[in-house]
Amino acid sequence: MSSEKAGTSYEVLSPWAEADPKPLKGLAPRVTDLAGKKIGLLANNKRAAPLILDVAERILKERFPAIETSWFKANSFSVSSLESDRLSKFEDWVNGVDAVVAAVGD
Amino acid sequence: MNTPTVTLAFQYFLDDAMSAASSKGMPVVRVVPETIVSESTVVEDIEAAITGVADDMVDALVRPLTGEEQSPKPREPEEYPRIVFKGTLEEVNRFFYRRGWTDGLPIIPPTEEAVAEMLTGTDLPADHLVAELEPRLGKATVEKIAIIGAMAGALPTYMPLLIAGVEALAANPVLGMMAVSTGSFSPFWLINGPIAKDVHINASFGAMSPGNIANAAIGRALGLITKNIRGVRKQIEDMGVLGNPGKYTMVVAENEAFNPWKPFHVEQGFHKEDSTITLTFPQSFQQMVPFGTDDQGILGTVVSSVTPARMGLFGLVLTPANAKTLASKGWTKKTIIDYIIENAIVPMEQIKRFGPGVGGSIFRDVSNDTSDSFHIFQRTERYPEPVQIYVFGGFGSWLGFLQGGPQPVVRKAELPANWEQLVNKYKNIVPSYVRY
Repeated sequence: MSSEKAGTSYEVLSPWAEADPKPLKGLAPRVTDLAGKKIGLLANNKRAAPLILDVAERILKERFPAIETSWFKANSFSVSSLESDRLSKFEDWVNGVDAVVAAVGD
Repeated sequence: MNTPTVTLAFQYFLDDAMSAASSKGMPVVRVVPETIVSESTVVEDIEAAITGVADDMVDALVRPLTGEEQSPKPREPEEYPRIVFKGTLEEVNRFFYRRGWTDGLPIIPPTEEAVAEMLTGTDLPADHLVAELEPRLGKATVEKIAIIGAMAGALPTYMPLLIAGVEALAANPVLGMMAVSTGSFSPFWLINGPIAKDVHINASFGAMSPGNIANAAIGRALGLITKNIRGVRKQIEDMGVLGNPGKYTMVVAENEAFNPWKPFHVEQGFHKEDSTITLTFPQSFQQMVPFGTDDQGILGTVVSSVTPARMGLFGLVLTPANAKTLASKGWTKKTIIDYIIENAIVPMEQIKRFGPGVGGSIFRDVSNDTSDSFHIFQRTERYPEPVQIYVFGGFGSWLGFLQGGPQPVVRKAELPANWEQLVNKYKNIVPSYVRY
């Protein structure tokens, strides 16, 4: 390349693709307290996820004895790739809990 | 969803988690970093890690949102100058490398002239949008594909395959996840039809090795598309733990001339005269020496060498010689596949002893299975045909295993009207080795 330093100059086009800005979404409002709430435990299909949530569930129940828990185990790595029938069940599930603890196994 | 959520994620995956959330329009999320190595099944580690972050987990669900969390401010709009740099070959290379746009190897400067030449390989207009590729949803326009093709050293005659390859990448969201997986899955591209000969894609001796511009540049270009259009960068979105040399390139043509069965693309519903590109994402490429080179030796090696600590598709690579032997004994692809599914087994007792429910196959709970044998392959909704057969390579006996990945996706390459003229223009670009 040394001879290039003295000579040819290249005007080059960008390989970095354009992407439309995404409509921004804020976070859902938090709950004021977990006591008495229904906590969703969301695991993807990585094997560490349910093991992590087993511990999280036990700790939450120790700290907040009146809470109720509800599990959703996705059959894929991400919720966005759930099949449509499972996605519908997921939406029903998530709307039926007060807060969610998610573990992705990574 | 409008339910407060906290995500527990391994501490090295925070950038990955943020990119994933941002690509869905959520630049601010509450992620609690923990110390559990991905895929861990060590319960003591998990217990200690989650106990250690329990306060943070609870806090993330009850602490009131900040203004930024409630209404994230739009970032400065990203600028996309078409001409991005001017400099010498070395300066262009340094600039691209520092931006994270290369695979580490030098690139060809994608000048107006180089890109214009690449665009002669398609009748589609430069601004035609082929697909928006996950996770970043970058726009894969024909011009962007041509720019990256030029960078990778591709010839214009590869454009139909690059465009069809982008369509294959967009076809299945599972494929999007493969490129970012801890499992370091690498795209494997199989070319069928007349284009393979037209553009000199190696299907014979050393088909998987370096030395052929088409095999090298097509895979390289599609890898750079993954980086620069999909937005999958190493250790940010691509969390492959060991990595995979196949990510540089893994492109072969099927050796149709010496395939005793139907070509792969014909089995998938295409015409023989169609040119196609097939995509799947194996984790590894292994080579096995067969116990014997007759049909029993070949198939016995396959079913004895597949181990249960694997996942996804199994691609069996047969050389023309092995395929001919099997076909001459009456084997079809279907009977071979059925044989492998039926006979690739390990004792169920072994699976249960070393990890009930998770030890052998991470997706299959065998705790209530009373059968004596654990079948490594099963036809399921997700994997209706878990074994595929590809015929390529030179005349020899080695067997190839392409392990892992989803069901293959096949897309047809649309050739431009002046294809014959174009092929003639570039047909002499072939290596000519000096004998010594």
